[in-house]
Amino acid sequence: MSLLLSSISFGLITAAVLSIAAVGFTLQFAVTDVLNLAFGAVMIVSAYVAYAINSLGVSVWVGVVAAAMTGAVVSLALNRGVYTPFKRRGISPIAMVIVALGMTLILEFGLQAIVGADSVSYRLNQGPNIGLGSFRFSLVQLVILSLALVIMTAVHALLRYSRLGKAMRATAANPSLARNSGIRTDQVVTVTWAISGALCGIAGSIFAIDAGSFGATSTDLFLVLILAAVFLGGPGQAYGAMLGAAIIGLSTEVGAAYITPAYKDVIAFVLLLGMLALRPTGLLGNRT
Amino acid sequence: MGHNAAIFYIITLLVYGGVDALACLGLSIQFGVAGVTNFGFIIFQAAGAYAAGVLSMPGDSANGGFQSYIAGLDLPFPLPWIGAAVVGGLLALPFTLLVGKRLRGDFAAVGLLVAAVMANLLVTNYRPLFNGSAGLSLVPAPLQDSFDPQSTGYQWGYCGAVILLAALVYYLLHRLTESPYGRTLRAMRDNDVVADSLGKNVLSLRLSMLVLGGAIAGLSGGILVGFINLWAPSGWGYAETVVLFAAVIIGGAGNHKGAILGAILVPLGFLEASRFIPPFGSPGLIPALQWVAIGLLIIGFIWFRPQGILPEKRRVNIGFVLPGPQRPERLPGSSTKVATLCRRCRVPPGPQPRLRGPGVRCFASTRVSPRFHPNTGTAR
Amino acid sequence: MLEAVELTRHFNGVPAVAGVSFPLVNGRLTGLIGPNGAGKSTTLAMLAGTLPVSSGSIRYLGQDITAMPAYKRARRGLVRTFQLASEFKRLTVLENLLSAVPSQPGDSMRGALLGRRYWSAGEEQAIAEATTMLERFDLTKYANHYAGDLSGGQRRLVEIMRALMAAPTVLLLDEPMAGVHPHLAREIGHQLVALCEEGMTILMVEHELSIMDEFCDPVVVMAEGAVLAQGTMGELRNRSEVVEAYLVG
Repeated sequence: MSLLLSSISFGLITAAVLSIAAVGFTLQFAVTDVLNLAFGAVMIVSAYVAYAINSLGVSVWVGVVAAAMTGAVVSLALNRGVYTPFKRRGISPIAMVIVALGMTLILEFGLQAIVGADSVSYRLNQGPNIGLGSFRFSLVQLVILSLALVIMTAVHALLRYSRLGKAMRATAANPSLARNSGIRTDQVVTVTWAISGALCGIAGSIFAIDAGSFGATSTDLFLVLILAAVFLGGPGQAYGAMLGAAIIGLSTEVGAAYITPAYKDVIAFVLLLGMLALRPTGLLGNRT
Repeated sequence: MGHNAAIFYIITLLVYGGVDALACLGLSIQFGVAGVTNFGFIIFQAAGAYAAGVLSMPGDSANGGFQSYIAGLDLPFPLPWIGAAVVGGLLALPFTLLVGKRLRGDFAAVGLLVAAVMANLLVTNYRPLFNGSAGLSLVPAPLQDSFDPQSTGYQWGYCGAVILLAALVYYLLHRLTESPYGRTLRAMRDNDVVADSLGKNVLSLRLSMLVLGGAIAGLSGGILVGFINLWAPSGWGYAETVVLFAAVIIGGAGNHKGAILGAILVPLGFLEASRFIPPFGSPGLIPALQWVAIGLLIIGFIWFRPQGILPEKRRVNIGFVLPGPQRPERLPGSSTKVATLCRRCRVPPGPQPRLRGPGVRCFASTRVSPRFHPNTGTAR
Repeated sequence: MLEAVELTRHFNGVPAVAGVSFPLVNGRLTGLIGPNGAGKSTTLAMLAGTLPVSSGSIRYLGQDITAMPAYKRARRGLVRTFQLASEFKRLTVLENLLSAVPSQPGDSMRGALLGRRYWSAGEEQAIAEATTMLERFDLTKYANHYAGDLSGGQRRLVEIMRALMAAPTVLLLDEPMAGVHPHLAREIGHQLVALCEEGMTILMVEHELSIMDEFCDPVVVMAEGAVLAQGTMGELRNRSEVVEAYLVG
């Protein structure tokens, strides 16, 4: 593959992982109005659970399922045990962000205390290379891409066609109105965090699989990419997160082919700062 | 420890303490008083350190040219320190776009956090700027041509200079905060939309706070780099900002003495105390646990004592009745410790006689019970 | 004095306010009334500058101020209050009042650094004004209390007092009586009328017809984002659309 094609293929993989994570993050923001900066921490914790299972000889993909469950449980506990009580107190959004940062420290460095500061990596057979048009992907990469597509479709179906999805959208748009219309907003919030938590876990384990090696703080930089995708698409907008993930994933990898690779994430940062400065509601958000 | 080593250790503690106090003071007025949440705070300190470094160092071909950096103007003290403060202040200007009214506070804070991560990435990878990930080394100590930087006298002098500067900055910030301008800042913190509707130019105020805090942070960086003579990107990640925020929150946001206390307790006390814990577990376990502890402290304080150890004081005017026993609901996080603004009118504790009249010009001090009911009216 | 000209405001393509025009009569307490969702608060927010207009213009003292930011309007005497509690919670009641006083020498970084000697005269004068204000509204004994600690009705009074401390030429009140004890509401009403007699121009958004009846003249009636009618209370009572909008909406 040419340089451009191979960078696009890398971009697609990044976009795939990002889309799962960004959708999860943005759903949490949509129903709770909290920027859950501990998202990256939950990702890496779930990734380690998957890795631990894999080290016992179980298939990597079973590990992904385990990561999904871990992510769901930890995210639920995070919302129930930390964010909700603080929200009930009525603390400001800024204080919430500080709390989220505190949780990040506890989770990531708690993990590091347990697993140590060295990086680990999956010894994974990438599988045969498969051609797709002008692109070549390894089997593992294709699985990742397909997983992302399946998840995006499922999220779309959930939001558009299911009662739960409608309840989620109503709760996100106007919680008190939703409650007054008979929607059990508490339940909706719980289910949303469970689902987005599972997405978080899946994204974490796939991130780890795709990365060369990883450690307890590896998702710190990735969280910034998630934020870039989320704000690009519009905070709280699921489709926006998908769009943002595609843009960020592709632009960083393709950009890396033409500028020094070390700076590729700077593209994401600049896009994020630009959106915040010029259009905080995002590309798909509503202009207020 | 030998006698000399003990002396040097104490001096190091004092210098670090002074630098941390300065940094926390900058954050105190930005965040505690004006409500500008600058999660990128550390890059202002870093900018000051780099500025002082490259201003005081000779051109980068010196010492065998193993480093690569801009400037290299070989300027004498105190120019590098002044440059550090100026650069710290100027760095605030591009962030105007993030602190206007249009952007939610938490979004803006995230933007600043991202800016800090980006700055670290850029400096680490673009070597010609500040020598990349290796950072600057052999940064000259101020006045090192006239004095021996290793001598005890010099070190004590350095100590004295830091503490003096910290005291000066504290005094200036006190002036700013205990004035109508300080009141405007606090009003903006409490409700920026309303402050705007009452004639306050919120954008300009926030920018001023970024510049002021940035200059103070820059100065602290310049002072530190002159002492430790090196500065690398690994020393100023976003985690360092979190430590400073923890310090200000724990010490007491909105109270400059609280900021200094927080500086002593958190960056200095907490992280230094671990030096004395016998190492256990794998290497790296203790630092990891330290971070967990900081996270727990942050959340614990925001839950149990959001006003911090030394809360913001209530500004009371003795021309009116002081808050008495018959009080309604308390506001979470409020304190009832009351400030002395006018040293001349020392008012004794206890219920006050009503002093009326437009000539009243001082605010008075009364210690009211600092527990959660601000209405007990009893004095300590 | 203040005039809205064809004000329009869209939210996501849905017009909340469309083509609203009315003048504010000098020295009168004008009421802006209408059912829920009529667009009254949105109109007030546009007049004050808190919300940008989608189209239309606003004239104030002969000048087009449509593009002027809210803080500049306030400095020119166009001051508003808010519907939801918006006192500065961690400032005392006295500080809330003092914070609104315009053109204070101590209210700038330079002024503050110059020290107490520089700004204390201005501050004393402001305190004197605040004292008078507190006495006028009988809240003197709460001067040193945190504004957030007061009861709902008291906080409402603090907000009105604070707006008055800003030396307004035109005062825009957003539902000042909402959630306030009827007795206190009448008190506020009387104070407002007294202020108009002293020369202030006031626009009051209100929900309650009886309050409009008693204190406001003239009145602007809005429904569904447009002006339904304007005139004196007497004229309006006889207009069927007005009565209908109220019974239905």
